[in-house]
Amino acid sequence: MATVEVRDLRKRYHNFLALDGVSLKAESGQLVTLLGPSGCGKSTTLRCLAGFLEPNGGEITVEGVSILSTPANRRGFGVVFQNYALFPHMTVAENIGYGLKLQKVSKSELTTRVNEVMDLVRLGGLGDRLPREVSGGQQQRVALARALVLKPKLLLLDEPLANLDARLRDEVRWLIRDLQQQSGITAFYVTHDQSEAMAMSDMVAVMKAGRVAQFATPREIYQKPTERYVADFTGEANFLPCTDVTPHGEGHYSIAAAGTTLDLDGVPGIAAGAPAELLLRPEALELTAPEAGTFRGIVTKSAFLGSALHCEITLPDDSVLKLSAEPNTPVTKGDTVGIAIDRSHAWLMPEVAP
Amino acid sequence: MSGATSAFSHQGPVNIAFGALIVLLYVFLMAPLVMIVGASFTGGLLIDFPPQGLSLKWYFEFFERRDLVDGLLMSLRIGAITAVVTMTVAMMAALAGQVLSGRLSGWFQLGMTLPLLVPELLTAVGLLFFLYKIELGKTVVGLQMGHILMSFPYAYVSIAAAMRQVPASLEEASASLGATGWQTFRLVILPLVMPGLAMGGIFAFINSFDLYTISLLLKPLGGNTLPLALFDFLTYEFKPTAAAAATLSILLSILGVAIVQKLVGLQRAF
Repeated sequence: MATVEVRDLRKRYHNFLALDGVSLKAESGQLVTLLGPSGCGKSTTLRCLAGFLEPNGGEITVEGVSILSTPANRRGFGVVFQNYALFPHMTVAENIGYGLKLQKVSKSELTTRVNEVMDLVRLGGLGDRLPREVSGGQQQRVALARALVLKPKLLLLDEPLANLDARLRDEVRWLIRDLQQQSGITAFYVTHDQSEAMAMSDMVAVMKAGRVAQFATPREIYQKPTERYVADFTGEANFLPCTDVTPHGEGHYSIAAAGTTLDLDGVPGIAAGAPAELLLRPEALELTAPEAGTFRGIVTKSAFLGSALHCEITLPDDSVLKLSAEPNTPVTKGDTVGIAIDRSHAWLMPEVAP
Repeated sequence: MSGATSAFSHQGPVNIAFGALIVLLYVFLMAPLVMIVGASFTGGLLIDFPPQGLSLKWYFEFFERRDLVDGLLMSLRIGAITAVVTMTVAMMAALAGQVLSGRLSGWFQLGMTLPLLVPELLTAVGLLFFLYKIELGKTVVGLQMGHILMSFPYAYVSIAAAMRQVPASLEEASASLGATGWQTFRLVILPLVMPGLAMGGIFAFINSFDLYTISLLLKPLGGNTLPLALFDFLTYEFKPTAAAAATLSILLSILGVAIVQKLVGLQRAF
């Protein structure tokens, strides 16, 4: 429906720089997630998009046209808030019909469209209840319906699942994604939950202190992070310090780590001999016989988790690797084991100041 | 907390003492009202409790006294205008206070409640000088201004408290759905603060109805509010007419509370 571009967005509060040059782009129909810890600027970015905040610099365009001078009530974006922000004195149906009533659509059309969207989000029969008389998950769906009924150009979701319990969260998450894909609405989604970001998004922007640390697909963010911060935030990760970094063409390197030399891929552009870190996701590692692996180490922790055996292995240089082994693997604390590396899951990153 | 409560309920003597204290407190609060209401129905010639025989004659007497009825009408009129003006201005002030940040907001709140903190007499004297300067001394308009000033904080405190209960995200949600500022105010904020607004107006009215000092200094030539008229009356006559007037005032307050209860429910107003 609409391509949205954010360029070099800046926002300053007194002496706190909330946004320090944020650039993003959502192609038409994409769901773009802003992922990061609290205070990283993800909500501030969303509020600038919604028009609740005025940035100090930068540009936001929809279909190539700047929207910065358009006030929030004329942007035509749907916003779903973390606390739902339902009008407590209006029924569910009145909440959903609020925007249509402002547009002065006819009574019969209003009723039709409200009923349509209530069926879409499975709220049928609850129209006459007040928001406080329905459950949290239902309130969230009212908020979603209220935004969607206006057929917005852009849907903005600010941690919409944060106040729901785990089971509901899963249900509403898929509902949001399905509705977004069916209607083809471009959407921005703010969350601090990496699994949510991974599962729902077309693109993820990992944010760090008012900047975008990496903007890429969920797969790239997870498998090919540009720095340790991104790798850390997107899942379980092991890091090993490397020496003797030697580039072999664009994005290919040979390195030395924990007493072994390795050939692997990494972030393009790391100079020869530059400080770098090796990222090993737990699924890149496999337990082997002591003499067969790339590394050799001692099991310092092992915990049976049902579907997997969680192990921590200390290498001779005192670095620790965490991995998930097949649950029936016969290892106990103190065993000497080998670790095989799946090189397609190993990744070299430059050392960046945190 | 629950531990403390259960300690009370298990210890008979403490419980009884606590109950007695509550009863005493209510007696202290209610006794003057009971006395004055009782005295207004006396058949005798003096304010007396218990009343000597029952009669409504002091109410007839009250409505036959030109000076007292004029005072009542003036107080009602000034109180009503005060309520309407303070509700409007306090609503606007509360909206303005909402957009101020942190420390500024604190100062703003303090400023709005200043008439409560400055002694009424000082405000009255200051206002008297000011009104003479702008040639409104000893006029009804001047008196009205004084009443609005003195009653404003009551309305403001009640309305600002109601405003604080409205999350800012509701205004943002309303805007994102296409509402202008005025539409958001009319459709979202106003219905939600209505109980506080009504309560603020009634507080302002009751306060205005009760003001003495400032009325004494600012009263227009030839005009009296009910408290002033009653005081004049009591200076020369100690008749139960005054008790009848007081009972009517109490009735008015009860009426106000009843209106709030009917319109919005007392629980929501506080």
